Amino acid sequence: MSLLQRIKNKVRARSIHVAYVDVGSCNGCDIEVLACLAPRYDIEQYGIYVHNNPREADVLLVIGAYTPGWEEKLAMVWEKIPSPKAAIAIGNCPISGCLFNRRETFIDPPVRKHIPIAAEVPGCPPRPTEILQAILSVRDSVFFNWEAEHP
Amino acid sequence: MKRVVDVNIPLGPIHPCFKEPARLKCEAKGERIIGVEVELGYMKKGIERIMKGRPWQEVMFLAERVCGICSVIHNLVFIEAMEQISGIAVPPRAARLRVIANELDRMQSHLLANFSYCYTIEHETLGMYLLDLREQVMDELERLTGARVTCAYIIPGGVRCDLRKEEAAALLASLERMEGDLRRYTGMFENGPMIALRSRGVGILTPDAAERAHAVGPTARASGIAVDCRMNHPTYRQLGFAPVTRPDRDNFARVMVRFDEVFQSIGLIRKCLTDLPNGVVRGRGVCTAGEVRYSGEAPRGELTYFIRSDEFGRIVEIQIQTPSIMNIEACCHEMIIGSDSIADVTATFISADPCIACTER
Amino acid sequence: MTTYLFEQDLVTQKYRILAARRHDRLVRQIAQELDIPVQEVRRYLIGHLDMIQLENLPARAEMAEAHADPDNPVARALGREKYSTYLRILSGAAMDAIFRDVSARVHAGTPADDAVRQGRAQIREALRP
Repeated sequence: MSLLQRIKNKVRARSIHVAYVDVGSCNGCDIEVLACLAPRYDIEQYGIYVHNNPREADVLLVIGAYTPGWEEKLAMVWEKIPSPKAAIAIGNCPISGCLFNRRETFIDPPVRKHIPIAAEVPGCPPRPTEILQAILSVRDSVFFNWEAEHP
Repeated sequence: MKRVVDVNIPLGPIHPCFKEPARLKCEAKGERIIGVEVELGYMKKGIERIMKGRPWQEVMFLAERVCGICSVIHNLVFIEAMEQISGIAVPPRAARLRVIANELDRMQSHLLANFSYCYTIEHETLGMYLLDLREQVMDELERLTGARVTCAYIIPGGVRCDLRKEEAAALLASLERMEGDLRRYTGMFENGPMIALRSRGVGILTPDAAERAHAVGPTARASGIAVDCRMNHPTYRQLGFAPVTRPDRDNFARVMVRFDEVFQSIGLIRKCLTDLPNGVVRGRGVCTAGEVRYSGEAPRGELTYFIRSDEFGRIVEIQIQTPSIMNIEACCHEMIIGSDSIADVTATFISADPCIACTER
Repeated sequence: MTTYLFEQDLVTQKYRILAARRHDRLVRQIAQELDIPVQEVRRYLIGHLDMIQLENLPARAEMAEAHADPDNPVARALGREKYSTYLRILSGAAMDAIFRDVSARVHAGTPADDAVRQGRAQIREALRP
């Protein structure tokens, strides 16, 4: 491992910028993501910052079951994120559509049809600690040695 | 609607201040906003279409997932509508427990709304204090119902589980602590000179305009209109409920009304806990055919369910009128017009506590 | 340089809002009142109102039912405030002009019913694309 790579690994492990995008959920998961900001969970102690700006994000949290309004826009948001990047599906909705995935619905799950998903956190809604754990595990598995593995 | 305008500033759908996706196309003349067009459709799941033809046991969970922030009230209003259709009586202890769950939900929703407002006007310290306080309310909600969000606590003829004596004592103790903290935070908001500069006199909603747009909840009450569906609810009437209003009509008043209502909720829960009647928490009954229009007071205002069911308790027709529809409309077409700068648009929009998931269903 | 922002075609999504039960009932009621085909009313609403106004139509109509033009029966029958300030289908100036014509006719001795009917015809003209 080169020195540069080692520096990059060290820096990246303490600096994860997160953007979240709601593609049609009941916003229960939205609020649980927001609750991660609370002093109780204190995500900044892990070096995670929520800016909600795709252009400076590393991790995109996708919430919701993909409604028609996002048809072209979600892919646009995903392209705006600079590499290395990872998307995490929060809640049951992006995984399966949960209980909205019935006859007569407008949604089009799963979200992994539309953008690549690195991790999934099931739950309706998942607890903030689970969301936090998913972000941390993605950090270790996707961003570690990224340049060496993607020459 | 295609129009040619001077300057059109789109905000959203992804915006650091908005919790949920919505797009506001602000038509500006210099810095002054002269018109706003709202573009929705990012959250349209068609819940009402899914609900049609399904038994109430399924619709109950779907109703809860109309809105994840105020899920208890959706549960409550749907179940009380079904009870009214079928003539199911609620045991007195269950009625009080429902009020406790509902008021805890209102507290966390109001604290979250005020957190969003503080975060939007960049007062992050106060925002974080409020979010921390909200976590304590969520703990209490979890202790009572078993889940943080979407807890399905209320069922026809009662509630799902009882509140034990030691749990009630713990709830009372933590209410005491939360009230002290909240008094300090409210003082910070009320007396902060910078907050007043940013909030007072911004986003005026006149009572006439509020009435025309059918504004409800804290948005209407901050314009001096005393509307509150809790005044018509039998359990709240026993508790001696009176709505909180403020005459100021601006962003500051809307946030302060929410703070005042949190104190009021603490008082209501305390009153429920001190004379909690003994007895069962689950009655019995069968959901039958009927048609009803039933309203309840959600944290954001009047929530109305229009339901028609058949003899097996299946939902034949349903429509939900959520408070955010009226409030966002009043906000975007009355309050924001004439704002002095684009920075006030987000603050005003957030001060009306918009919930896009409710609006679109 | 003029570049256009990315704009999605919203007609389908707006139609979905109007297809809900209460909205549909209201649209049919307006169509019957003004004697216009339902599709025309829908097209006009989709073209002239934004999505949150469409969502809020039934609530505004309810408020109009309760509070619009409380002390003028002719204005109420014509729906002066209902169509202008409440539902916002017509601009206030256009509605005032129509109402002035109607009240002039009533003063000239035309029965109120006929005057209102002619006023409705004027509203219909104003709504025509």
